Amino acid sequence: MATALPQQVAPVATHPPRGRRAAGWANALFVLPYLAMFVAMIVVPLAMGMWLSTTKGDLFGVEAHVGLANFTRLFGDPIFLETVGNTFYFVVLTVPALTLIGLGLALVLNTPARWATVLRTIFFASTVLSVTVVTLVWRLVFLPDGGLLAVISEALGKTPIAFLNDPELAMPAIAITTIWWCIGLPMVLFLAALQQVPRELYEAAALDNAGRWTTLRRITLPAISRTFVLVVIIEIILQFQLFGQPQLMTLGGPNNATRPIVLFIYETGWRQWELGYAAAAAQVLFAMILVAAMAQYVVASRKGAQ
Amino acid sequence: MRALVLLLALLLAACGPAEDDRTTLTIQRFFGACEAEYGAVTDIAAAQGECGIMTAIINRFEAENPDIRVVENIVFWPGYDQLTAQLASNDAPDLVTMHGSVISDYQARGLIEPMDADLAKIGIAPAGMTEAARAAITIDGRVWGLPIDTWAPLWHINMNLFRKAGLVRGGRPVLPSSPAELIAQAEQFEARTGKPYFVQGAANEYAGFTRNFYTFLMQQNGEPFADPRRADFTTPEAAEALRLFKDIYDRDLTTKNQDYSAAVAGFLKGDGGVFLVGTWMVGDFQAASEAEEGALSGGYAVVPYPQLYARDVTFADGHNWVMPADPDRTAAEHEAALRFLAFFSRHAFDWSRTGHLPVYKAMIDSPRWRALPHRDALAGLATSAAPLPKGVRRQFPIETIVGQESAAAISGAKPIPTALADMERRVNDILKNL
Amino acid sequence: MRSQNRVAIALVVIAGVLMLVPMLWVLALSLKSNAALMVDTNSVFDGVFTLENYAAILGDGQVFRWIGNSLIVSLGMTAGVLALSSLAGYGFARLEFPGRNILFVIVLLGLAVPEQAVIIARHQLFSWAGWHNTYPALIIPGLAAPFGVFLMTQYFRAIPKELDEAAMLDSASRFTVFWKVLLPLTIPAQATLGIFTFLSAWNDYWWPLISATNKQMFTLTVGIASTQMNFAQTEGLGFLMAQAVFAGAPILIVYLFFQKYIVQAVAGAAGR
Repeated sequence: MATALPQQVAPVATHPPRGRRAAGWANALFVLPYLAMFVAMIVVPLAMGMWLSTTKGDLFGVEAHVGLANFTRLFGDPIFLETVGNTFYFVVLTVPALTLIGLGLALVLNTPARWATVLRTIFFASTVLSVTVVTLVWRLVFLPDGGLLAVISEALGKTPIAFLNDPELAMPAIAITTIWWCIGLPMVLFLAALQQVPRELYEAAALDNAGRWTTLRRITLPAISRTFVLVVIIEIILQFQLFGQPQLMTLGGPNNATRPIVLFIYETGWRQWELGYAAAAAQVLFAMILVAAMAQYVVASRKGAQ
Repeated sequence: MRALVLLLALLLAACGPAEDDRTTLTIQRFFGACEAEYGAVTDIAAAQGECGIMTAIINRFEAENPDIRVVENIVFWPGYDQLTAQLASNDAPDLVTMHGSVISDYQARGLIEPMDADLAKIGIAPAGMTEAARAAITIDGRVWGLPIDTWAPLWHINMNLFRKAGLVRGGRPVLPSSPAELIAQAEQFEARTGKPYFVQGAANEYAGFTRNFYTFLMQQNGEPFADPRRADFTTPEAAEALRLFKDIYDRDLTTKNQDYSAAVAGFLKGDGGVFLVGTWMVGDFQAASEAEEGALSGGYAVVPYPQLYARDVTFADGHNWVMPADPDRTAAEHEAALRFLAFFSRHAFDWSRTGHLPVYKAMIDSPRWRALPHRDALAGLATSAAPLPKGVRRQFPIETIVGQESAAAISGAKPIPTALADMERRVNDILKNL
Repeated sequence: MRSQNRVAIALVVIAGVLMLVPMLWVLALSLKSNAALMVDTNSVFDGVFTLENYAAILGDGQVFRWIGNSLIVSLGMTAGVLALSSLAGYGFARLEFPGRNILFVIVLLGLAVPEQAVIIARHQLFSWAGWHNTYPALIIPGLAAPFGVFLMTQYFRAIPKELDEAAMLDSASRFTVFWKVLLPLTIPAQATLGIFTFLSAWNDYWWPLISATNKQMFTLTVGIASTQMNFAQTEGLGFLMAQAVFAGAPILIVYLFFQKYIVQAVAGAAGR
């Protein structure tokens, strides 16, 4: 009802010709194909997942409706709460680093020079590897027994550190692996944005004898602020969904220090066959991502409005 | 360019399957893929290793049964996520490899077929199987699969280092018979060789912790699952099992930071005296001992876990063939599956060359099997190998929890009582919500 | 200022070398025999290399089937995402229709839906439709990703409105304006979106694992995974690395191609 009202009011307010309303519906045809996919592949499954989160059952059928029992169990489950903490910790470790490093790389490499092309390719190359390969390589880097870092530290006369087997260091090690793997996306997004900044702005700045730093602060950064928000939001969404790296590098250990929410969902749903409980955890994760991304968006748009 | 043309040609070739009226038998299995090496091998006796022998058996079966087309689905270990998804979408294979410890989960949901009548039809009598093999497939008095093997963790021993440590008598390794003796011998080993007694794949790897914990808990007559729906880990026996390994860890009598593959490589390089790992490595290490060079050259022995407490027992599990329930399976497909199972059990000896313990008591007693390297020492497993009680469901995730909490206690991340309490709470949380 | 610039470049070059070391290591390991690696990974430095791991991959013709499947799925998904996202992006950025703003917000909320929250229900949907083990089943879920719509909407919004208003005065239809005037201007965005869609389709693991259970329908990631992880076979390190190089190479080539295209597109726009 509330949504129908403005539509009826709108024509009166703007006095459009009669044909305009028909055109309005015709315009929706542009978004219709996508929306059909969106509803079928995201809205419907999400609604099913929400319903599943109020049930008890496995992949072969629902056994009982339990209301909000899964959610109360979640918030009393020390392992789940630990995974929430681990996930936030990982996001804090990775998202600012990915955004700032990605921006820095893009600023330096935003030139058609050949060396920049080569470096761009290098920084992007790791992104093409699958998580299986990335984790295997980094396990061989971190391994205290013959791994790359161990060889180096032994050469320096120090005892190798068992990064992945130390509850304090395992998550930072996974974060470094992730930054190495994922740095290509923010870099390319920033590059694409930088290339959209009109040349005239820089030419004008050059005429004003503006310094490099001033140009960066006054022209470049404002021009790409939208991309900045985009990168932060995308990285928040991606890194909240951490899964493959700990699953393949540490199995969530040592002492649960690297178990993120998605690994919890996976283990609960697929290994323990508790579909309803896993679905409830997935809803909690959805809510957390939503809040984090929205907060970022609101903060950014408020800043933009000032 | 030529590569591209080749690629296209191969794609086209792959896209045009020839029409045939053979019965299709879909076999889904783990044990890895090795088509490159064994894709055309039908001489089973010439194959080596789990993957090679399994591939050769299937190839041979197809060659001998021209009316059956075998589709072999090789899955990422252990393949249960995929199987579960397939069963949920009514796309079940005809035969699947399954660990004994997870059979009851699928059986309880009516997802696999009972096979008493089928096994009788092809002349396989469960009475002729070892205790552990029969237990793996028997639930509520009915049989739910055909056992492939039983596996157990073993003490793989570097005899060259043992000799140096003065731990060989009469050509046999000297083994401990109590925790105190174990520590004493391990310290003697370390003093004389400068190396840790144990090699363990203990970093980011929990299965080994679980096997050790269950084994030494059982050896003290501990019964963590006296009630299959309620775990009891807060016992003195459980604490003692962890204390023993914490002691070993604190005294530096083991390698500490090797993951599974580093530990395998480490043992081959002579990093320590005893590698705690399962039956599946016997073949590889035996081959290394026959090589001219290397730390194991001419010096490898393997024995079951020694009895350190009241009872001679080792935690065990095993691989089995099960038949997922499928209302669409035709009589011909069912018959083809049975023919394969009969064929497989006729080649049980070939499978036993992997190092796994045979299923049939008669084979364990046979001179042919005894003639394989180290099998005399391993024959005792026929009576001492013990899986968890069949009534315990969700053994797979439970093993992970038990291993994680054991690892936390042994490395000192948590006190032993806390780890055991956490272990018990987490496991019971699963069992309570079945 | 100059020196600042040099310091920045030097830092980036050092970072680039650090990026490269693990990759070169993968390449080096892929050229080593499995037996040598099993004894000691440091044998990489002894200078003895072999192509046997690559021969092993090629010797088993299945891998071509898997690459073919991955290509079909990745290209199909990329084409679909570009088409749907461009249309929808134009619609959301430029056209008036009832409920536009609320719909756009809902699509944006879709960005926050984690795959694990929907994958089981999706699996059931495809089971009911009987579509598992088909190309559409592997492609369609990717078409709903909201990222493309978000990106394209942002780009269409950034294009000056005067351009399409001028075209509208020439009484061109909405679709003609979209197709002839605006779409060519979004090529950098298309290239960016195309790379990432292709990339995520190529490396996707979870959905193909549970949807494509028939070996004939395996994508490269699932196929490669199926050949790994056998506890009695830890010696396959070199083989594994060769597979990684083999799987990564096609996608790197795609990137190189698109990268050139981005530069050209931007250069073209600047030249006008």
